Amino acid sequence: MSGVRQALLSNWFIRALSTSVGQKLVMGATGLLLCGFLTVHLAGNLLLFQGAEHYNKYAHKLHENELLPVAEAGLLVLFVLHIILAFSTTRMNTGARPIGYREKQSKLVGGLEIRPHNYMFLTGVIVLGFLLLHLSDMRLAEWKMRLPYDESMTPADHALMVLRDPISATVYILGSLVLGFHLLHGFQSAFKSLGLNHPKYTPFITKLGVLFAIVIGVGFAWLPIWFFLLKK
Amino acid sequence: MSGTVDQIGSDRLVSRVPSGPIAQKWDKHKFEMKLVSPTNKRKYTIIVVGTGLAGASAAASLAELGYNVHAVTIHDSPRRAHSIAAQGGINAAKNYQNDGDSIYRLFYDTVKGGDFRSREANVYRLAQSSTAIIDHCVAQGVPFAREYGGTLANRTFGGVQVSRTFYARGQTGQQLLLGAYGSLMRQVGIGRVTMHARREVLDVVTVDGVCRGVIMRNMTTGAIESLAGHAVMMCTGGYGNAYYLSTNAKGCNVTAAWRAYKRGAFFANPCYTQIHPTCIPVTGDYQSKLTLMSESLRNDGRVWVPKTKGDNRPPNEIPESDRDYYLERKYPAFGNMVPRDVASRNAKQRCDEGQGVGTSGKAVYLDFADAIKRLGAKTIEEKYGNLFHMYAKITAEDPYKVPMRIYPAIHYTMGGLWVDYNLQSTLPGLFVLGEANFSDHGANRLGASALMQGLADGYFVAPYTVGDHLATSKLAAVGTDHPAFREAAGQAEAKTKQLLGIKGRRSPDSFHRELGHIMWDNCGMSRNAAGLEKAIGKIRELRSEFWENVRVLGQGDELNQSLEYAGRVGDFLEFGELLAADALQRNESCGGHYREEYQEEGEAVRDDDHFCHVAAWEYKGDNSAPARHQEPLTFDEVHLTKRSYRE
Amino acid sequence: MSAKLDLTLKIWRQDGPKDRGQFKTYQLKGISTEMSFLEMLDILNEQLIHLGEEPVAFDHDCREGICGTCSLMINGQAHGPDHKTTTCQLHMRKFHNHDTIVIEPWRATAFPILRDLVVDRSAFDRIVSAGGFVSVNVGNAPDGNSVPVPKVNADKALDAAVCIGCGACVASCKNASALLFVGAKVSQYALLPQGQAERAQRVQKMVAQMDKEGFGSCTNTSECEAACPAGISVVNIAQLNREFLRATITATT
Repeated sequence: MSGVRQALLSNWFIRALSTSVGQKLVMGATGLLLCGFLTVHLAGNLLLFQGAEHYNKYAHKLHENELLPVAEAGLLVLFVLHIILAFSTTRMNTGARPIGYREKQSKLVGGLEIRPHNYMFLTGVIVLGFLLLHLSDMRLAEWKMRLPYDESMTPADHALMVLRDPISATVYILGSLVLGFHLLHGFQSAFKSLGLNHPKYTPFITKLGVLFAIVIGVGFAWLPIWFFLLKK
Repeated sequence: MSGTVDQIGSDRLVSRVPSGPIAQKWDKHKFEMKLVSPTNKRKYTIIVVGTGLAGASAAASLAELGYNVHAVTIHDSPRRAHSIAAQGGINAAKNYQNDGDSIYRLFYDTVKGGDFRSREANVYRLAQSSTAIIDHCVAQGVPFAREYGGTLANRTFGGVQVSRTFYARGQTGQQLLLGAYGSLMRQVGIGRVTMHARREVLDVVTVDGVCRGVIMRNMTTGAIESLAGHAVMMCTGGYGNAYYLSTNAKGCNVTAAWRAYKRGAFFANPCYTQIHPTCIPVTGDYQSKLTLMSESLRNDGRVWVPKTKGDNRPPNEIPESDRDYYLERKYPAFGNMVPRDVASRNAKQRCDEGQGVGTSGKAVYLDFADAIKRLGAKTIEEKYGNLFHMYAKITAEDPYKVPMRIYPAIHYTMGGLWVDYNLQSTLPGLFVLGEANFSDHGANRLGASALMQGLADGYFVAPYTVGDHLATSKLAAVGTDHPAFREAAGQAEAKTKQLLGIKGRRSPDSFHRELGHIMWDNCGMSRNAAGLEKAIGKIRELRSEFWENVRVLGQGDELNQSLEYAGRVGDFLEFGELLAADALQRNESCGGHYREEYQEEGEAVRDDDHFCHVAAWEYKGDNSAPARHQEPLTFDEVHLTKRSYRE
Repeated sequence: MSAKLDLTLKIWRQDGPKDRGQFKTYQLKGISTEMSFLEMLDILNEQLIHLGEEPVAFDHDCREGICGTCSLMINGQAHGPDHKTTTCQLHMRKFHNHDTIVIEPWRATAFPILRDLVVDRSAFDRIVSAGGFVSVNVGNAPDGNSVPVPKVNADKALDAAVCIGCGACVASCKNASALLFVGAKVSQYALLPQGQAERAQRVQKMVAQMDKEGFGSCTNTSECEAACPAGISVVNIAQLNREFLRATITATT
């Protein structure tokens, strides 16, 4: 085993990525790319408000694209890397202080009472649960694990069925808000992990991060809120 | 005491100053010294005790040359040594300001500033080395202050009329030490230096009359450990903590130097103590240390007291006409930038006259109002921000708005183990560097010269001179199993047991505080024969009580801070007596040594006919008086004159 | 001006590295608000010696905020409640009469406890030893003014170089990460022309050693910056990340 490890570590790329700093760099990079995905995904979803027709057209266009499997594979890699590294760094971090303090107070001035950066792993795990349910509802709907999916459904019908399911709707609302909370720290932190910090731009990035987190969190949550709670 | 001291000529004190013109002495000496060839250097082991500026620079330089080095520090990390607290700057004769500076002028200022009690040849070498120090530190990545054009910036310090002080805000010592520490840690990484942190040196070991190693206590486990080598470099700093309250760190002590003295190294000029004029005044009897406010503040701050006694109006309500800017009044040529001894004495005189300020009446104002008006608060913050911040933390007053209150405090000790031109003590193989030696500062050190001396000794002097010792001495192979090591280790162990076995009623701290009071009251800023004799008596009484009544809890074989402290206090109680005896024997006033009997209108009066010499004390046993040896000082370049800063 | 405080102290006592350790409660009366925090502990220790109990071991030295020896987690805050202040410069005027003060050692795998409140921070030395320097031997230096350094870079380098190595960044970080400490050193040399020759390998070696010592990773919480008595900015962490990325891409090994 250690021989394999040695061989792997002799490669400069793997060696760099195995360090705490390298892992955080990849966390940041995958996180930001996932943010890009979230933006596109939200834009697509919001077409539901424009009407089923628009949404269906968008869905067909997307599925006709030959490169979709490549994009999906890429997305899978991003998610898997982000998740594996979350577990790996968290393990490193708990090992770095096995015995905690009897009392611990922040010395940070201002900000939220409950600080998002203290709950990144927890919120990440919740989002992962949300993601798995969402995949079973949508991408793997044909397996009919829970919902009565039917191949004849239009994409809009399918989406509305999911959004009107009480369990899915509840999980989606909470999951989206937790995702927003995760992004509240994640977005601007990713820039720092990538080494991007500048007195001119960082304050802007920090504000943009808050805006992005709210848009993503509320934007995704709005779909089930609207279709499940308000337009039943 | 005064009648019993043996006065001995200089036969034991061979200064080894090379002949020839002063500017060529060092070059000539370097050529004449024997060398150790590059391939042979790795066969020699050198032990460096202390990792401040002198120790870290020496250890790094010796390792770079190829020697095997052991570095020992009482701290948890070599970076913690008290050099780190030096604030103001480091002098160098670069003449970057084009204001007429030169090596000769730095040499001249230092000899004059030291009140003609230093060795000319050493001081000249110090001035010569100063420029290379700056170059080396810049190359190490020390972030010195810069001008907008990217060149190095300078400021002025007391006792000089040029700008030659290089600085890094108010933390120059920190930056220089971290530079040296980086070089040292690089050698640790390479494997040329073995680091021994949290080790306290309790003795030096001599074999065939040559210093061959040290005995130390592992402060984590309590184990007594030995190190053997071919030479020992003592870089353990000064003894200001003999006064209890000083600007020194709590851990600063005289123990290693004192034990070396007891093994045959002479102790020179212990009465030369520097009292720094600008420290934060004492607030209560719980006080554990005094904090320095850098001398550089006097560049922009004006020192004053109210003209009338007992004027207790708030400073900002006292009009200009009721203020006495006494330094500017008395010393128009140097004004607030007179040397430290002069500034301190004048502050004491004002307070003794009843013009002192603050609740205790033992403080004078250092006022920045004019400078802030002239330069703006931002510029002042850039220059002294961290000092103002520190002042505000301690006093809860804002020095941007109200003047600082300052008072003199023990700061630096010019005395130390006697060394020759090679920095070798009277104990062959024992070299002494930095503040620990009796140094190049004479009776008073000029500001920003301590960093210069520590680094000159460590980077540029000792690495050469130790080679001569190694190349010219016949050094038999000696290991830590040698009987001399076992004997010394046994003695160190016995002393530990003795301290733990007393089981008395008073804490080490209470003895240390009491010693401090005796020293400060009788052997502080001004001294007289009667007071010194009284002090010697009291110290003896206190010392005998200590060895009967000190309470040291815990065990020897564990981390035991009380035990460490008690050992140091025990040594201070012996050393304090020597300090007072030296002050009593020196019947003159010079620099930091001010005897009330020898003055003219409050200005020190030297006696060059009888005291133009170094006094070096030889240990003669615990129950005998030490012998006072003399090394005459000659001044061929800077002629002996009355030191004046009036015009 | 000065008032007196009666205090309850809950202090971590641990006889040695292998002892389990526990909190002990002490009462102190009549503490002057003008005292420093360590002077308050001095008084406690004097009382303990008087009572025949071993004094509390704690690291301290310069007592003017520059040596970085003192530490202490005071009521869950590294160096106590004051900002940009070491424990030795913290004064009792920051506390109130009848306060209970919980005092704990720094806690991190890389900083094992030696006794009571004393921890071993030699991990920092080993990180510096791995690359926190410019490799220049005595005697090799050109004239100090031969390479101009823009004032703004020199000032920024000094802002990073003022780190006192106390370990508050590690102690206050939820991950016990040392990235602020390492970042400060890496940034200092990255900003100066003298540091360029070893720029890539310095960051690589220092990060490798940091990981080996068992410090955690950085979550960019900025708790370290808030706790840092020397005012080191988290900008230095971003700079380290940038240096690391740059080194990974450009270094030949």
